[in-house]
Amino acid sequence: MTLAAPDRSSYWREGAGIRSWLLTTDHKRIAWLYLTSLTAFFFIGGAAATLIRIELVTPQGDLVSDDVYNRLFTIHGIVMVWFFLVPSIPATLGNFLLPLMLGAKDLAFPRLNLASWYVFMFGSCFTLYAIVAGGVDTGWTFYAPLSTVYSNGHVSMAAAGVFIVGFSTIMTGINFIVTTHKLRAPGQTWFRLPIFVWTLYATSVVMVLATPVLAATLLLLVLDRIFGIGVFDPTKGGDPLLFQNLFWFYSHPAVYIMILPGMGVVSEVIPCFARRPLFGYKLVAYSSIGIAVFGFLVWGHHMFVSGQSTYAGVVFSFLSFCVAIPSAIKVFNWAMTLRKGQVSFDTPMLYALGFVGLFAFGGLAGLFLAALGIDVDLHDTYFVIAHFHYIMVGGMVTAYMAGLHFWWPKITGRMYSEWLGKIAAGLMFLGFNLTFFPQFILGWLGMPRRYHTYPPEFQVWNVLSSAGAVVLAFAYAMPLLYLTWALFWGKRAPNNPWEASGLEWQTTSPPPEHNFDVQPVVTGPPYQYGGQAAEETA
Amino acid sequence: MTDEPVSKAFDEVGREREADTFGMWVFLGTEAMLFGAVFVAYTILRLKYPEAFGGGSEKLSMWLGTLNTAILLTSSLAMAVAVESAKAHALPFARRMLWITALLGAAFVCVKGYEYFDDMQKGLLPLLGPFHYDGPDSAHAGLFFNIYLMMTGIHAVHLLIGISLVVYLALPIRIPPGRQPKRIESVGLYWHFVDIVWIFLFPLLYLVHP
Amino acid sequence: MTRRLVYAWLGLMLLLALTVGSSFIPLGVGNSVVNLAIAAAKAAIVLAVFMELRRGEPLLHLAAAAVGFWLLILFVLSWIALRGV
Repeated sequence: MTLAAPDRSSYWREGAGIRSWLLTTDHKRIAWLYLTSLTAFFFIGGAAATLIRIELVTPQGDLVSDDVYNRLFTIHGIVMVWFFLVPSIPATLGNFLLPLMLGAKDLAFPRLNLASWYVFMFGSCFTLYAIVAGGVDTGWTFYAPLSTVYSNGHVSMAAAGVFIVGFSTIMTGINFIVTTHKLRAPGQTWFRLPIFVWTLYATSVVMVLATPVLAATLLLLVLDRIFGIGVFDPTKGGDPLLFQNLFWFYSHPAVYIMILPGMGVVSEVIPCFARRPLFGYKLVAYSSIGIAVFGFLVWGHHMFVSGQSTYAGVVFSFLSFCVAIPSAIKVFNWAMTLRKGQVSFDTPMLYALGFVGLFAFGGLAGLFLAALGIDVDLHDTYFVIAHFHYIMVGGMVTAYMAGLHFWWPKITGRMYSEWLGKIAAGLMFLGFNLTFFPQFILGWLGMPRRYHTYPPEFQVWNVLSSAGAVVLAFAYAMPLLYLTWALFWGKRAPNNPWEASGLEWQTTSPPPEHNFDVQPVVTGPPYQYGGQAAEETA
Repeated sequence: MTDEPVSKAFDEVGREREADTFGMWVFLGTEAMLFGAVFVAYTILRLKYPEAFGGGSEKLSMWLGTLNTAILLTSSLAMAVAVESAKAHALPFARRMLWITALLGAAFVCVKGYEYFDDMQKGLLPLLGPFHYDGPDSAHAGLFFNIYLMMTGIHAVHLLIGISLVVYLALPIRIPPGRQPKRIESVGLYWHFVDIVWIFLFPLLYLVHP
Repeated sequence: MTRRLVYAWLGLMLLLALTVGSSFIPLGVGNSVVNLAIAAAKAAIVLAVFMELRRGEPLLHLAAAAVGFWLLILFVLSWIALRGV
């Protein structure tokens, strides 16, 4: 097996044995450690989804029992949310690119970085054990008192795994925050940073403020389950709504942890392939922070029909409409970046454009759900499932693909097959919409989520959705194969194949272990495309 | 103190020191959010059952709680003196203060342990034995005592981690003297934070009136 | 230098005596208000003097203030959601 190292010294060449990878403190290698684990988890979560979609082809529950179906959607949710989406862009692209984009040699705390991967792997073992030993049936949301009293699944094991993995997230967040404050290149003021750095920073702030609350909530959950403390148990005076309240305080900001880095990727790709500076750079930067802050104020919209105070419902509904504004600002700015540009439709751009459309669509659906009255009918239906899959898969995973393809030449020093890339992107877009658009219709018609039996009149939409899932699965397998192929046998990449701006493109592809042979100095704003630059601060 | 930065990312030691301190503060921020969530659970349940919480709090030994608070506050003084002496290069004296800090921390744990034992004997801890409670709202008083055990328990775990770190720093292990003050300062920040948590726990658990 | 640390400790002890002493005076909800205020004062002394926040760079003040603000959000909105207004 010949690895991709070119003749120049690159980080691939610094040691080849397994120890040099497992004991590395190089952020670029750690990014690879994460990439491998996360890809494995993506396909594990995808396997659960496959079984779900096969079951849902027929109105009867004939493939699996009720109980097994509960465990399938629970595993799908837990693995996809915590073992794939939350770490995805930050731990792979973020780890690799943040120091490069700052002109730094590494993150502020390289050993903490490696430790974060080990904590991630260690925690995931608990949850994997829970899966193998029979699974959990509570949904990824772990609501009490099902999770604390009545469930006979491996709740504590699964919760322990998520608890531990949460600390991996916190470690990454601390590292990114300190690095962004303390390791910027000479001349690199905050408003000369690429938006990807802004979004990673905003994501990290959310990570460090929200994840500890999840840790506390899961701890209380496990103590309640094992020792019967009673905090969430109505028979002892506890309050199940307290669980939901604390759980969603984390889990709503968590969706911003998941989407913000994707927005950052897209903000890098679109200017490059439109050959225009990002429109409204400062607004996009501010709106990233705005999303991070506002995202903490809306969690009650998951609890509109739970019995929380109606007044609170009004407050949360209003705030949920507000949180859409910074996202809308970004969509507008991405679209305006294209104006008078010379747009080329390379694979990363296809994914980035797909992101903008699908994210906007899913976000609009979110506004329906934010309206109290409508949510009463749509809560716990497939409308919600379609909404968040449009954001998470149509948005986040698409952005992840965009980033992987955009920076693959930099990371590996190899080019992938452009026509395979375009085909996979197209298939993904088609497969995705075929899978999830029918789910909006199903939700509108009233099909509830987390059920594997349904009235026969819903079948046509379910069949369409499952057919889409087949296309989607194929579309995901394609990059797994051709990107891996490119890693070993792809054409060698130049330092800057896309003629992109950004410090990471000023070093070799792939970079040397110490990132830069000469310390880069920043003298102007980012996105120097088309002979114009983004607005500079006065 | 001429030093090279520890992390390969930094060129200057001064920058790295700022980063280390800032990183520790961010970490303490995460711990504050973690305890904050537990305090929210406490608050919601106390607002629901004021008599149970008041009655339960009365049964706890206020004097042992006061003693423990005084012990911990004094340990913070010892820790702060240790940090200051370390920065002034008086490392042997700093080590002595670290030992005093650890001892006071251990004293806290002993008092707490005795208190748990005493509470258990009186039948106040439903998790550790039969429950005998004759105050108001006995249906929900058990919840108060469970919360008391849980919150002080989580605090104690954090304190034990702190004691271990302090002892590790106090031992005469060959660490480059240049690195010692930084480490002591970081552990000091953690120690003070655990103290602050107790500063809030004490009135919320021991001084509640029905 | 050490003197300011000892003064801080004396202040903390005094506040401890105050909070225990005031618990013997029945003030209803006032007791809780007084106790929390005293606890906040103690925490402020530990933060400013022992943890040297006062002498730290502005970034540390920002971080501490941010955490305080977020804890406020957590408590206030939870209270609104679960206890009503």
